[in-house]
Amino acid sequence: MRVIFIFALAVASVFSAGTRQAVAAPRLHIIATTTDVQALIQVVGGDKVDVESLASPTQDPHSIELKPGQLMRLRSAALVARIGLDHEPWLARVQITAPVLNLSENVRLMQAETPRLRVERQSHVHAFGNPHYWLDPENAKAMVFAISRALGKLIPAEKVYFDTNRDIFVKQTDAHMLLWTKGLAPYAGTKIVVVHDTWVYFADRFHLSVVAAAEATPGVPPSPAELAKLYSRMREATVRLVVADPNSSEPLVRQIAEHGNARVVRLVPSVGADQAARDYLSLIDLNVDRLVKALR
Amino acid sequence: MLELLLWPLLAGVVLTGIHAYFGLHVVARGIVFVDLSLAQVAALGITIAILAGHTVDSAAAYWYALAFSSLGAVLFALARRYESAIQQEVIIGIVYAVCAALGVLALDRAPQGAEHIKQILIGSILTVTPKQVAHLAALYGIIGAAHWLLRRPLIQASFHPEQPTASRFLWDVLFYGSFAMVVTSSVRIAGVLLVFSYLIVPATIAGLLAKSIRRRLLLAWVLGVLVTATGLCASWYGDLPTGPAIVVTFGAAIVLTALLLALRRVTLHLLALSLAVVLCAAGLLLMLFPQMDQPWLDAVELAIPTLHTTFLDQDDKETRRDALEAIGRGRAELAELRGREQDVRWGKIEMSTEKQERLRQYLAARGEIVAGDQLVLKDLGVKARDNQRFMLGLPLLLTGAISSWRLLARRRKHRHRKGLLLPTA
Repeated sequence: MRVIFIFALAVASVFSAGTRQAVAAPRLHIIATTTDVQALIQVVGGDKVDVESLASPTQDPHSIELKPGQLMRLRSAALVARIGLDHEPWLARVQITAPVLNLSENVRLMQAETPRLRVERQSHVHAFGNPHYWLDPENAKAMVFAISRALGKLIPAEKVYFDTNRDIFVKQTDAHMLLWTKGLAPYAGTKIVVVHDTWVYFADRFHLSVVAAAEATPGVPPSPAELAKLYSRMREATVRLVVADPNSSEPLVRQIAEHGNARVVRLVPSVGADQAARDYLSLIDLNVDRLVKALR
Repeated sequence: MLELLLWPLLAGVVLTGIHAYFGLHVVARGIVFVDLSLAQVAALGITIAILAGHTVDSAAAYWYALAFSSLGAVLFALARRYESAIQQEVIIGIVYAVCAALGVLALDRAPQGAEHIKQILIGSILTVTPKQVAHLAALYGIIGAAHWLLRRPLIQASFHPEQPTASRFLWDVLFYGSFAMVVTSSVRIAGVLLVFSYLIVPATIAGLLAKSIRRRLLLAWVLGVLVTATGLCASWYGDLPTGPAIVVTFGAAIVLTALLLALRRVTLHLLALSLAVVLCAAGLLLMLFPQMDQPWLDAVELAIPTLHTTFLDQDDKETRRDALEAIGRGRAELAELRGREQDVRWGKIEMSTEKQERLRQYLAARGEIVAGDQLVLKDLGVKARDNQRFMLGLPLLLTGAISSWRLLARRRKHRHRKGLLLPTA
């Protein structure tokens, strides 16, 4: 009896899903690896897509443990969009049948030196280039172009819709860009120390000069000799600002600021990691705002 | 150096003070993992505090952690009563695993904090503040004084559990309760690994070297302070992360003690025999797999380069000399230019952006060339290994095999003679 009931329920749900599909146009189910990619896809896809992000904004995107539900949806997704480089090492373990949109192929990369040189210089863990490229608004523009191309291929009938959305976003970004550059213009050339190499693209775009990263390998605390050198150089060069990420080690940040004689500003690297960073533009708005306040 | 390392050193002294003492208890009770388990319970408490809307650094989070680890302490004290049915270590292990998993489940729901919890477990003794050290010293002073006043029943509960006392359960609760407090406070500063080392290693070494509890405690204190100082120095001069450097120093201390104790029993004969067996194995491996990594041979070649060059022909010798020279020159130039690049970045030297970019590209190219020269050396190493395979491997194997055979034969003879002599004696 119970088996029949469950069967009936399953049949009913399949039918209802079918009728719903027949009424409204099918929404594309898209999986993004991070909330930043999710936000940009949402901008282009509008109400034609359902996007979900695998990583939550405050999680370390390098170490995600997928849940069964996510794995199921990953299998049935129409498109998987990712940051690429070595930002999502866990994705390699998952079988993906859907087309994969690797957004790193369309953007300007920094620190893309050969792995051998990186090891020798001990400057960064990312071997194929720094993966935090979405923090440069110009790169975000390149990303939405790639996204609209991919979406247009999936639903050719809606190509015009996607392209229009993309153009609106690009225009908005350009308008914001004027404000951002104007806001940060007085501080061009300011030397900053970052805790982790998250901010190279952002700093490059707005003409801030990243002089050092305190924690070259995340999770491995810097040695006392390294720190002593950093502090003396910071005082010598009068570095005014330490840029920390939301999950940078609090005691380390405090010590750098104290010994290096600098102020701390915590910037937000991902959409959703702070309440004010609801979408891409407000994310950059928030960071520019915090920087200007800290530098004033 | 002192400016940065003074407070970590004092923190290490404070940690040694309380943990070496608790370590004696824990080792006597045979529950070494209780500390990892309580730390995990405390981390779960902090996670729940985050879920309840507090920040990681808040006082509320600390009280949550303390409440959770105290609960764990009561559980462990209860478990001791039923030790005949379930071993205490089993309960400790289960609590550890389940709390770690619960922490992951809870963090999945928490809006933030996963990274903070991870950092709490890793700890950062290098960035400890004077205020934190003072807090710890005061707290541990009080706990230590309480333990001193109540030393008789507490020591009896740990070291002589076979003597039944009326209220052992209460003493166990007191012991685990104060221990939970210590672990919760220490882990926030030093991290799980370091706290575990402070707890177990000095107590274990002291247990090997001394009998009475008082002597063990004094020895453990001295050891803990010495190891902290050595580890901090190693971290400074070797440019190493501080916490892990101290943990490894603790490991080295116990290995050294074990070796010294073992040396007292080792005869010359046994030493020679082990050397012969090692020689035999090294020769065999060199003959069977000449191209596998042979770190011992690399080290010997570095000390005595002739051992490497005699297995190369004249041309290769010249190539090697050239490559070595080129690498030396390249490295010196790279070091100098990188220093200049750093100076430019820090604003010590002015340089136009165009020139900076050119410098960056030159550095990348120059680095590749040095790496290429190193490949040449590697290639020569492969050639030399092919020649060393039999010319070095076979003699090693034979020397090792013959000497171990001779040594074993002599021992047999020796025993035989002893066996013959004994009945007549």
